Amino acid sequence: MYNSVKKYLKILVLASAAQGLFISPAYAEEAGHYGLGRIATPEEIAGWDIDVRPDGLGLPAGSGSVADGEGLYEGQCASCHGLFGEGEGRWPILAGGFDTLSEGRPEKTVGSYWPHASTLYDYIRRAMPFTAPQSLTADETYAITAYVLYLNEIVDEEFVLTKDNFSTIVMPNADGFFEDDRPDVRNPTCMKDCKDPSSIKVTSTIAGVTPTEHMEEGASNMTEEAPINEHGKGIYNQSCAVCHNNGMAGAPITGDKEVWADRTKPGMEAVINRAINGYVGEDGAMPAKGGNMSLSDEDVAAAVHYMVEQSQ
Amino acid sequence: MKKLSENTTDLLQEIKTEAAELPQNKRRDFMLNGLKLTAGTALATAVGKVVAGQENLPPNVPTWQKSLGRGVVSVPYGQPSKHEANLIRRTVEWLTADKIASISMSPLHKMKGIITPSGLHFERYHGGVPEVNPDDHRIMINGMVERPLLLTMDELMSFPSESHIHFLECPANGGMEWRGAQMEALQFTHGMLSGSEWTGVKLSTILQEAGIKPGAKWVLAEGADAAGMTRSIPLDKALDDTLVVFAQNGEMLRPEQGYPVRLFTPGWEGNTSVKWLRRLEVGDMPWAQREETSKYTDLLADGKARKHSFVQEVNSVITSPCPENPIKRKGLLQLEGLAWSGHGKVKRVDVSLDGGVSWQTAKLKGLVLSKSLTRFGMEINWQGEPLLLQSRAVDETGYVQPTLSQLREVRGTNSIYHKNSIHTWQVQTDGAVNNVQLG
Repeated sequence: MYNSVKKYLKILVLASAAQGLFISPAYAEEAGHYGLGRIATPEEIAGWDIDVRPDGLGLPAGSGSVADGEGLYEGQCASCHGLFGEGEGRWPILAGGFDTLSEGRPEKTVGSYWPHASTLYDYIRRAMPFTAPQSLTADETYAITAYVLYLNEIVDEEFVLTKDNFSTIVMPNADGFFEDDRPDVRNPTCMKDCKDPSSIKVTSTIAGVTPTEHMEEGASNMTEEAPINEHGKGIYNQSCAVCHNNGMAGAPITGDKEVWADRTKPGMEAVINRAINGYVGEDGAMPAKGGNMSLSDEDVAAAVHYMVEQSQ
Repeated sequence: MKKLSENTTDLLQEIKTEAAELPQNKRRDFMLNGLKLTAGTALATAVGKVVAGQENLPPNVPTWQKSLGRGVVSVPYGQPSKHEANLIRRTVEWLTADKIASISMSPLHKMKGIITPSGLHFERYHGGVPEVNPDDHRIMINGMVERPLLLTMDELMSFPSESHIHFLECPANGGMEWRGAQMEALQFTHGMLSGSEWTGVKLSTILQEAGIKPGAKWVLAEGADAAGMTRSIPLDKALDDTLVVFAQNGEMLRPEQGYPVRLFTPGWEGNTSVKWLRRLEVGDMPWAQREETSKYTDLLADGKARKHSFVQEVNSVITSPCPENPIKRKGLLQLEGLAWSGHGKVKRVDVSLDGGVSWQTAKLKGLVLSKSLTRFGMEINWQGEPLLLQSRAVDETGYVQPTLSQLREVRGTNSIYHKNSIHTWQVQTDGAVNNVQLG
């Protein structure tokens, strides 16, 4: 950096002397320095530079145990990923699947597929939990990482993961990847008599798995629009839809009139309180504010109203 | 008199059917108007002047010509005609766990030329669309640079910029069909593909502004979305044709496409063009992020996986006829399609009508640009015979689009990504078109 500044000053002096200008276009072209932007401070960089590399670059100070990770995982992760990392619905399976990679239906999990433990720390830190990214502390992230490694039998239950012992973790599929070596297929360009027509076997499409309503004659997308509680809808889509669209962890599905009629029997106030403060019962579990503590009580209430409106 | 009453009955039925498709609030008005019209039409038919349903056809003057249309800025930002309401992005809901981390497809069957309207560009989100305020948005350049920088949008847009037409494709395009055909529409077999004019600053310009330190080999691009989407890009690509893009098709990026700024890596798999770009870090090795290890790696039959498979190899598909565009009449037919290659220009496209027994070279239509959608076409004379339509593209490197059997032979069926094989449409004797695979 010092050198480039010196060069900058030198050229500046020359340019000023020659043309009497402060910064000449010739300087800008030569040095590729447009003088745009400002230097990012170490504090600014620290706030945003959250990536962790396989060699450990970027790991923050801290530690977390498998035991601490268990509680955090059950509260923050299990509703999507399952208590044992088995995955709910179509959400990612985190554990198991060993020796399935060359099978007809491979199960690509952290244990069976991921080549680096750093990726686990990095991804939890930047993107998890799904509804509240970048909300975990460094220690919590260490603990959850340790627990997911434990679910995959990569560490034992006494293990405490720290910045210093991170590099000792070796993932089972560390050697499972190779650099792109394509083109891997060569198709000779034949123009005539390329194959025996009688050898062609036609396999049809599996019926009924594609949305095709729009292909029917005269189909219309115009539907009647009732006034919508837009604020509630926005909150719902961001923070509630993940569970309430498909009934995860016993969540009443939005649009299911029967279930909602039952849930709203105690009155709207009770339903909203449950959504704000959280709830655990035989019929399911609702994390406080859906796990997104940045929502105000009013936001949650608006979302609940939206869900009830959509389920009448 | 008997004939008149029959016509009237038919017309009433038609009005009722059409009304059923309208929103309720419009339905009453429509029915009322229709009934008034019936009275008049019935009378007119009796004297042989107007035939039901043809009021706007010659020799009659259409209704829209007999009154004034709407004035300027009645719609300040123009919208497609209401008659094109079917021209929309669609998704296949069972593909993903929810819509926040999901994908939608462009309606390729209806698109013309090589530019996708921005509102129809396919969507792929890993954590939904963030609503970024451009005034509060910053682009950070850190890592192995002489001067770590922080740029505002205004500062970014003050660098010299350029515009290029390129396709963007998700590497999972077609990925549902490694094991067998299961999508009954072109929109779902190939719709994770769009083409746009992209305007931005060369990434090399910005990296030179920050000053790349010796030993640097990779650049990490990071998004400002809830997934903090990241990909490691080799420095060679970063300094070659990679752009930091702020505009698409002449206007600022759409939120779905990364407003206010995204990376754009021409010809490479879509997710490397990181949207809502907030940070670029220069380093000496890849970061092995989730989206370049656990996802977007190509698992082969032997259990080993190909990584850093960035380039979208040559591909093509016939867009008409296709399942959504069945053949409607015998005679001369304009067959059309799209071809594209992440390695450069499309050099040639061949078309087969008989499932690959014989091939004819199609015409390349309009602009033939590097790493861009390219139109091809051919005129065929169809007399109701069954067809097995295929297209096979060759790019300027000489690489020929492979058959599905050839791909499966070397990769197996578990790759998910980068399925660029020759596609087959089966045309039936009635003109209907099915998605099929050939063994």
